Amino acid sequence: MTSLFRIQRRLLLALGLAAALLVTPLTQAQAQSGDPIKIGFSMALTGPLGAGGKSALIAMQIWEKDTNAKGGLLGRPVQLVYYDDSTAPAKVPGIYTKLLNVDKVDLVVSSYGTDVIAPAMPIIMRSGKVFISLFGLDVNSKFKYNRYFGIMPAGPDPAVDWSRGFFDLAKEKGLKTVALAGADAEFAQNAVKGARKNAQNDGLDIVYDKSFPPSTADFTPILRAIQSTNPDIIYFGSYPPNSVGIIKAANELGLKAKLVGGGMVGLQFASIMKNLGPGLNGIVNYDFWVPEPTLKFEGVEEFLGKYQAAAAGQGVDPLGHYLPPYAYAYLQVLGQAVETTKSLDDAKLAEYIHATTFNTVVGPVKFGANGEWAQSRALMVQFRGVQPNDLDQFSKSGTRVVLKPDSVKSGTIAFPYKQ
Amino acid sequence: MKISPFWIITVLILIGGYLFAEWAENQFLFFAGYVVLQSLIMAVAWNILGGFTGYVNFGSAGFFAVGAYTAIALHQFLEAPLIVLIIIAGVVCGLIGLGTGYLTLRLRGVYFAIATLAMAIVFESLITNWEYVGGSTGAYVITPTEVAFFDSYIEMLFVLMLFLALVSVAVSRYLSISRIGQGLAAIRDDETAAECMGVPTLRLKLISTTVMGAMMGVCGAPFPFFVTYINPLSAFDLLIAVNSIAMPMIGGTAVWFGPVIGALLLGTIQQIITVTVSSELNILIVGVVLVLFVALAPRGIVGLVQDVMKKRRGK
Repeated sequence: MTSLFRIQRRLLLALGLAAALLVTPLTQAQAQSGDPIKIGFSMALTGPLGAGGKSALIAMQIWEKDTNAKGGLLGRPVQLVYYDDSTAPAKVPGIYTKLLNVDKVDLVVSSYGTDVIAPAMPIIMRSGKVFISLFGLDVNSKFKYNRYFGIMPAGPDPAVDWSRGFFDLAKEKGLKTVALAGADAEFAQNAVKGARKNAQNDGLDIVYDKSFPPSTADFTPILRAIQSTNPDIIYFGSYPPNSVGIIKAANELGLKAKLVGGGMVGLQFASIMKNLGPGLNGIVNYDFWVPEPTLKFEGVEEFLGKYQAAAAGQGVDPLGHYLPPYAYAYLQVLGQAVETTKSLDDAKLAEYIHATTFNTVVGPVKFGANGEWAQSRALMVQFRGVQPNDLDQFSKSGTRVVLKPDSVKSGTIAFPYKQ
Repeated sequence: MKISPFWIITVLILIGGYLFAEWAENQFLFFAGYVVLQSLIMAVAWNILGGFTGYVNFGSAGFFAVGAYTAIALHQFLEAPLIVLIIIAGVVCGLIGLGTGYLTLRLRGVYFAIATLAMAIVFESLITNWEYVGGSTGAYVITPTEVAFFDSYIEMLFVLMLFLALVSVAVSRYLSISRIGQGLAAIRDDETAAECMGVPTLRLKLISTTVMGAMMGVCGAPFPFFVTYINPLSAFDLLIAVNSIAMPMIGGTAVWFGPVIGALLLGTIQQIITVTVSSELNILIVGVVLVLFVALAPRGIVGLVQDVMKKRRGK
């Protein structure tokens, strides 16, 4: 054996060990029994979106339990049948084919996130099933499937409506110049694309418009470059690790602008909010649900109580404000449609879902013609009075004040943002 | 003229695959089968350079993704038939393989492995910033609902993948049993000695990198039509590289059928585990099995079987 081969063996050993270490706690598909109504889906229980997917699954299991406690649907119990897609798009087509052909599920819903929703679309379209998705951004714009519905409250033109509230605030304050910075990956680029369109429509002067690699952790050079253009507004499209890096660098540098934030993923998660503490104060960012009086919809607090009890010790978001209520709500929509139409017929269900305003834990939900929310309710919230190392403060009103949209506004903006 | 049993079996497998596609009701089998066959082609391709020639390539995902994105670009530009996209993707990736061979001629062992990994990263950066093919936000492919001679698109993809896999195995077998294969083995054992003995090492290494690149490109081209949505993260997935190394190592790298055995075994186990236990367990299985084989049976299953047979003969 040559020394070259010995080196290769060592390399391969290291590679194998690294692959083994990538594994996270395992999950198991549920066993089937009786004659239940089976709801099938793949879920990102591991991989990059694993933490979010697990919290969504907890919410869905709460719905399953609640529904069965009330006698199920159409007098039959409901059963969730799911497989882990490990946030890998290549696994999704096979999983949905198995759900439909082998497991013979009655209804299907989506996994969490655009990457793992889109690959299911051709399979679902061929089967003619109603498909409600969980936080896919603008998935149906290419497929134009009339039985697709998205539970994310981004609005009929998701990429643009997402940041509309942020730019409405800028307009109200008469701001003129904007810097745009986004991570080079799917959601962040779509968010920045929408922001760019809003800025152009509002006649703002774009003084900085650049991308950064999603793996960026140190944002000091990027923020210095942005600062040198002296913008009134800074809009970020970023993923959780980036968002943490941006907030930390902004505090260290004493970033100066009048309106900062926008599309920063991660600032909705309890652990990150607790970690960043007062550094968040003044940031205006998107969110989907916060415990403000204007968003106390029927059943949401009861749901969160159950979620928080179930989530303890599971390694998921302990508060569950961001994704779990929507994971519960998309099954509420499906359940209500089945109960009212007294049918599992997909044509009837789709027709009913198109025509109805649903009362859910995330408030009234009405879908538009393209399956997205008929009206955007992407919140713009401002962090205010955040104290260090206190998780409980985020369960109370006042730390995340809703500025937009006006229909659920809970306070006025603290302006300008300053460090 | 005597026809080799290999060719008879190959044709029978292809006909069997087509009949299976026509008769089988369970569509899931085609999806699972497609993934196994994709792994098989990647493993066979990797083995040409990694197994026969002894050059470890960590950039398999790069070639695969370039094949996939070549198909996307041409699909958007020409709307050409899939078979044309596959051929062009093969040519493009073959040329990239040739270029890689030239650029890394003086690199051996760890340095060559790192260079291939770096190449994959370079391609990922380029594609992430190429808006025409979707850039970082990804690209959608709408597949037709009806296909001639098949009941569904996935059946057609499955049979196509089976055909490509059989061609890959045939090419790999030819390289292995011909004079080229002897030359590649000489390079693997001792490149300097091979050069001294008159083995055209440069030419053989370039053949090796070119064929490997072309096969991986061919394998990647149908991928966007399989998933219908592709982005750089999924196309350049490190697990593609890990699988294409693990499968030949488990099957056995020295012979052409080693990667076939490894891919069929590991690929099938992975598919079963995905729908019975957990998708993520796949990675654990790959990791643990790879460590066990590299540590205990570096010549793979084929090596183990050969040892057992040798012992029996000795008795």
